[in-house]
Amino acid sequence: MGRVGGTHTSGGVPGIGLAKGLAVTLRTMTRRSVTGQYPDTSPELPPRSRGVIALLEENCTVCMLCARECPDWCIYIDSHKEAVPAPEGGRPRSRNVLDRFAIDFALCMYCSICIEVCPFDALFWSPEFEYAEYDILDLTHERDRLREWMWTVPPPPAHDSRAERPKELSAAEGAEGRPGRGPRG
Amino acid sequence: MGTERTVAVGIGAEELATADMTLNIGPQHPSTHGVLRLRLTLDGERISRAEPIIGYMHRGAEKLFEVRDYRQIIVLANRHDWLSAFSSELGVVVAVERMLGMEIPERAVWARTLLAELNRVLNHLMFLGSYPLEIGAITPVFYAFRERETLQRVMEEASGGRMHYMFNRVGGLKEDLPAGWLDRARAAVREVRSRMSDIEWIIRGNEIFRARTRGVGVLSPEAVLQYGVSGPVARAAGVDFDLRRDEPYLAYGELFGPGRPGRVVRRTEGDCYARFECLLDQVYVSLDLADACLDRLADLPPGPINVRLPKVLKAPEGHTYAWTENPLGINGYFLVSRGEKTPYRMKLRSASYNNIQVLSELLPGNLVADMIAILGSMFFVVGDIDK
Repeated sequence: MGRVGGTHTSGGVPGIGLAKGLAVTLRTMTRRSVTGQYPDTSPELPPRSRGVIALLEENCTVCMLCARECPDWCIYIDSHKEAVPAPEGGRPRSRNVLDRFAIDFALCMYCSICIEVCPFDALFWSPEFEYAEYDILDLTHERDRLREWMWTVPPPPAHDSRAERPKELSAAEGAEGRPGRGPRG
Repeated sequence: MGTERTVAVGIGAEELATADMTLNIGPQHPSTHGVLRLRLTLDGERISRAEPIIGYMHRGAEKLFEVRDYRQIIVLANRHDWLSAFSSELGVVVAVERMLGMEIPERAVWARTLLAELNRVLNHLMFLGSYPLEIGAITPVFYAFRERETLQRVMEEASGGRMHYMFNRVGGLKEDLPAGWLDRARAAVREVRSRMSDIEWIIRGNEIFRARTRGVGVLSPEAVLQYGVSGPVARAAGVDFDLRRDEPYLAYGELFGPGRPGRVVRRTEGDCYARFECLLDQVYVSLDLADACLDRLADLPPGPINVRLPKVLKAPEGHTYAWTENPLGINGYFLVSRGEKTPYRMKLRSASYNNIQVLSELLPGNLVADMIAILGSMFFVVGDIDK
């Protein structure tokens, strides 16, 4: 393996190097073009592709971990506390209510730390990438827009057959096996 | 444009008095890539002095490292050399793992080696395309980018990114490889290898290309050692040094040696053509290494690909220096920790920074017309210089 072209031109027929280049050109001419006709045909992107961040706000508990861990602080979260009366009397419970969740994609570095740290699976990657704007301010996606991206989130790909079983699966099965903790009907 | 004119008296008594001219190449110039500025002093068409002026793209990466935890640092380490993102993030995690004395699962070691080699191919293909482009051969870049696209697709499928992979984590990789990925990666490697001959044929033997690069910008091994030049640029000058063989990290210890796929590509001429050839041949070596990693990954017993980390990861007090053979040369991180979740100091030794310094020695005596040929053959990324 290794040298295919190599040093054969030294002392060879003059112009052979140019001729070989033209041979490649001719060969390529007979083949199908590899150029993707982008706006007409959209590219096939793998499910892990980091295009845009989607928010499943139903899952968000306003724990602020994503906003804190973001390396350039491009996530904006506002919330307030709401008192919920306890169902069986007693002291009312307080609950966080999300007022604003926005991601500034002009700042975002697409590192996926926020998605990784989210303990309640509220953030997901979507491979969608066509959200360029004329005004940089419009790159800040508010919660409605982030929620809309959820519809484009693909299911995660299966892991390699030699991968360790996800700990969530083992934990779930362990819980099922335990007496009294099985799925309740 | 600097208008300083130094009046010098011609050497010969019969000659006319000539004036040296100072010419600025860059920071914005169509023939430089990025914002490298060169201040050339010209004696007619000949360069008598060259001074690289750097820092136009300084982003303070080292200072930013100090206020980022070890996962956030990977985001930044990705970006100084945007063509070697995987290899650069590797250095960070290797340093932290060494501080922690952490044992990395075997599958992670081989997967990292594989991805690092694929990243090397991607990097080299970029320069194999852009270098001929800079000296007037437009076609090779299309072939190079076709191959890049093939590999980028598998990289994206595993990591989700096409340039800034963000796939390394302290203790392994972010997540396991997708099912069937190994086969697709193998197919991509096979495809790229089978089509590398196109790039070879179109440019390697090309008489015009050879005329522009043969014997131009000869770098001596002494200059290489004095300036700390590394990577393919140093090996093209005959310096036999490759960290993958000489101080193996990851799985390279098992890949280099007699009868193994790892080889250190070397030339002795030290000219632009030798540097280009080094890069081209390294692609083949990397593809062979990638195949070896793929074979190994298929044979390994099932197991994890990362280590479960504590919520707050702190490197113990102390310091370490982790260097890796990045596509463009040695990339090192000197990590000083005071036991906090951020480093106390993290010095970055980037390949291009050292490689570019030698230009002040390499360019004088050459013609302006050869400057681009030399500059392009130094294979640098401006972000890697300015950090």
